[in-house]
Amino acid sequence: MPIGGYLKKLLRRRAAAPDDAAALRLEFKERYHHFKLLLGANCKALEVMSDIEETLRGERLFGMTFVRAACTSVCVSVFSMVRGLERLAPGKYTALFERFDAIQKDIEEILARPLPPRDPRLVIPLAELNRELTDAAGGKMANLGEIRNRLGLRVPPGFAITTAAAERFFAHRELQTEIDRRLQAAETGRLDALYALSAEIQQMIIRAEIPPEVEEAILQAYAALEAECGHGVKVALRSSALGEDTGENSFAGQYRSELNVGRDTLLTAYREVLASKYGLPAITYRLQRGFRDEDIAMGVGCLAMVPAVAGGVVYSRNPVDPHDARVFINAVWGLPKAVVDGSTACDLFVLSRDDPPELLAAEVREKERKYLCYPEEGVCRLEVSGPERLQPALTREQAVALARVALALERHYGTPQDIEWATDEAGEIVILQCRPLTAKEPPTEAAAPAALEEESLLCRGGVTASPGAGAGPVFVAERAADLLSFPQGAVLVVRQALPRWASLLGRAAAVVAEEGGFAGHLASVAREFGVPALFGLPGAVERLRAAGEVTVDATGRRVVAGRREALLAAQAPRRPLMQGSPVHRLLEEAARRIVPLNLLDPDALEFAPEHCRTLHDITRFIHEKAVLEMFRFGQDHHFSERSSKQLYVEVPMQWWILNLDDGFTEEVEGRYVRLGQIACRPMLAFWRGFTAIPWEGPPAVDGRGMLSVLFQATTNRSLNLGVRSKFAERNYFMIARSFCCLNQRLGFHFATLEALVSERTAENYLSFQFKGGAADFERRMARVHLVAEILEDLGFGVEIREDHLVARIEARPEPDLLKRIEVLGYLALHTRQMDMVMANPTQVEHYRRKYRADIEQLLARGSA
Amino acid sequence: MDQPNILVVDDEGDFLETLMKRLQRRNIPALGCSSGEEALQLIRTSPFDVVVLDIKMPGGMDGIQTLKEIKKVRPETEVILLTGHASIETGMEGMQSGAYDYLLKPILLENLLEKMAQALERRGGAAQRAQSERIRSLLPKG
Repeated sequence: MPIGGYLKKLLRRRAAAPDDAAALRLEFKERYHHFKLLLGANCKALEVMSDIEETLRGERLFGMTFVRAACTSVCVSVFSMVRGLERLAPGKYTALFERFDAIQKDIEEILARPLPPRDPRLVIPLAELNRELTDAAGGKMANLGEIRNRLGLRVPPGFAITTAAAERFFAHRELQTEIDRRLQAAETGRLDALYALSAEIQQMIIRAEIPPEVEEAILQAYAALEAECGHGVKVALRSSALGEDTGENSFAGQYRSELNVGRDTLLTAYREVLASKYGLPAITYRLQRGFRDEDIAMGVGCLAMVPAVAGGVVYSRNPVDPHDARVFINAVWGLPKAVVDGSTACDLFVLSRDDPPELLAAEVREKERKYLCYPEEGVCRLEVSGPERLQPALTREQAVALARVALALERHYGTPQDIEWATDEAGEIVILQCRPLTAKEPPTEAAAPAALEEESLLCRGGVTASPGAGAGPVFVAERAADLLSFPQGAVLVVRQALPRWASLLGRAAAVVAEEGGFAGHLASVAREFGVPALFGLPGAVERLRAAGEVTVDATGRRVVAGRREALLAAQAPRRPLMQGSPVHRLLEEAARRIVPLNLLDPDALEFAPEHCRTLHDITRFIHEKAVLEMFRFGQDHHFSERSSKQLYVEVPMQWWILNLDDGFTEEVEGRYVRLGQIACRPMLAFWRGFTAIPWEGPPAVDGRGMLSVLFQATTNRSLNLGVRSKFAERNYFMIARSFCCLNQRLGFHFATLEALVSERTAENYLSFQFKGGAADFERRMARVHLVAEILEDLGFGVEIREDHLVARIEARPEPDLLKRIEVLGYLALHTRQMDMVMANPTQVEHYRRKYRADIEQLLARGSA
Repeated sequence: MDQPNILVVDDEGDFLETLMKRLQRRNIPALGCSSGEEALQLIRTSPFDVVVLDIKMPGGMDGIQTLKEIKKVRPETEVILLTGHASIETGMEGMQSGAYDYLLKPILLENLLEKMAQALERRGGAAQRAQSERIRSLLPKG
């Protein structure tokens, strides 16, 4: 720098001195606020993105309303982030606005495209239904149509009353407007209020008039059914809501079915099934999951009653252990209702998957009750008497035929099925309902098949971050260098599910992380790459480190020793139920501008605004830069001694403190502040580490080293204010209760620590930089690498360029970060002293061991 | 009780009433009104730190117009927009007109309180800050 510039800078700094503290405080507050907002918006954006992905996989219901709400929410959140970064670093990242604008316009354009019109019919005969008509008929009826028309299986004759009909019903006389009004005003936190509201709305629906055209369509379809099945045919009315029978199955049992209904009560029963959309369980479920009412379109199925001799449920796999591939059949006398509501013991038949299936086991129970249709209407529960009680409800031939049906359905849908069936008077099998088998808890000990004996189970539990199973040798990645040595096809095992591991996913067979959840970057990339990922498994690193080859069953949430073909084969690819529907296509297209993450490596040249192709890229970019910009705050600001206080611990220390906000416990008068008056938790943690273990090595002969000042300050009384010496460099702390920025400069050397640590885990971060030293370059390098090694072991992301070290860790709980700050305090005192010994490898090894032992001791101590 | 410095604007009488009750029960002083025009009048008379504003008010000025007017009269006011009908266009228009945030109905009370607390903190005075802290203390940790 030319000397003139230097002087100017110096003068400017001086000139700003008297009142800079107040301005600094204000500016800090402002930045801190924007930073927090930005992180909040980041969280929300990622949450919505994972919501979108889940929806696209067909595990959730669809609706244009959801699509619009999700896209809006994600755009608004990402815009907040762009704006937040602009406030942290004005003018520096303006290119982001353009990128955001372009992507947002794309999304808007996609959403504005008119949807191909939905099937406008009010009723659709079963003979014309298939899976593509899901949004018109609801899942249950579309499935039955699919089974009947594409697989040729027997289902009861009937028709669907479509979602379009339900829409007409709710629009008629502004019924929906009135319902919405009451719902919006509801005190949704109180169950009693909700209960009353639910009853009130259901009553409204049951009393409401059915629009004449809907009524006519229903009665005409019923007349056609009569023509097919005989005059006065009794029917079952079943809910067939959009999304009801998807993989998550969360809606099961929330809606009503009316059995054995005649023409006279057909319309009442229709209203009752519609009303169950506002049953208490359905309302609370939607509130909890954040679904809006209008996302749930209610189709209703109208099916001729089957005079069931026997009925039950067949699972194409063991329902409590999806890896047990045998077919399970439950059977009772009469209607299958008894199996579904668990009101009587039922027979169990277990069959193989062979062709033909072989009956492997049959357990015949004493069946005390059965449900039958009354001749007029309704159903009754009867005691079963005589020998029938102990007779099997199915013949061997029927069981085999049922198993065949189950296997055919599983093949067709590509996922295990849960099928409700009945046998009629002729002994023929009729399928009443079919849906994906709900994922169950991992198998209990008793149900676990022999192939997964306890000793082979290495880990269990956690969160399925990306479903599936994969096998390969374990590779524990802890440091940046590990990125380079990761072998193709290995199982990646990490402590934290950090975005930086994302670049390995193209090569990984599976990922296991001790920490992390479904909504993070790594999880989302894993899903995108189709790499099975299991997160939230504490202790996994140590348990798996020496395990060799393992199989990660992310869906079943376990890790097993060795390569398990059975587990790998069990992962049939899932086919989203709604795939191919216009809404699905639209969301899919919008998601392409939102979800994929292309910016993986912050060091790459492409890590720049102009390379952001999706909203996810923008969030990733901003998140990275926001932490850096916050960090720069400390570096770019200087404050005068007058506005700060000097720390006094027995003697005045060379620690100067500027209170940015609520960093002191009380108003501090005079020039000194005492330790007891400091409220800043990160600073106190630093102090604890700094003073925890005294330096025991040789005395610091070379006082010029940057951190020796800290050491000197604690020991050398002559270093207090007024005694100007070349050693009297100061340690500047800017503090608030949850924030501290330590700045230490001397010539070419500096160390900075910045920490934001509170109970709001998502906002927490810790950043440490360290450069130079008094020794020659080689010794400095050796020291920097030693520090890097220690910090990486503590979960820091560490970068080294020459003798400049940058370490960062984020989003960890407060106690974890405070402990790490203690370690930094410890290192601040101790590593400086290594200059004396760095040339001697034996001594270096000695200190390396000592540091590790000391740090272990520090970490083991409870926080003071 | 402190001077109310939060204003809730919604033309849905029931929604407004319920929200006001829920705030009251938590000792959060707030004032409610049912139109943009009314809100502006109130804001001209005395400042509010935070305004919670429904976007869709078919009777008169809509939320976005109201927001723009508020920002003209008292630019320091933090405005949280609410809507039952998500659209990227209005969402972005709101944000670009200086809204503090944009929430979708049905709102979770915790989310709204969190936003209120953040907005109050941003306003910065001692009273606002104390209130922000108090609202935060009502929220689940983490």
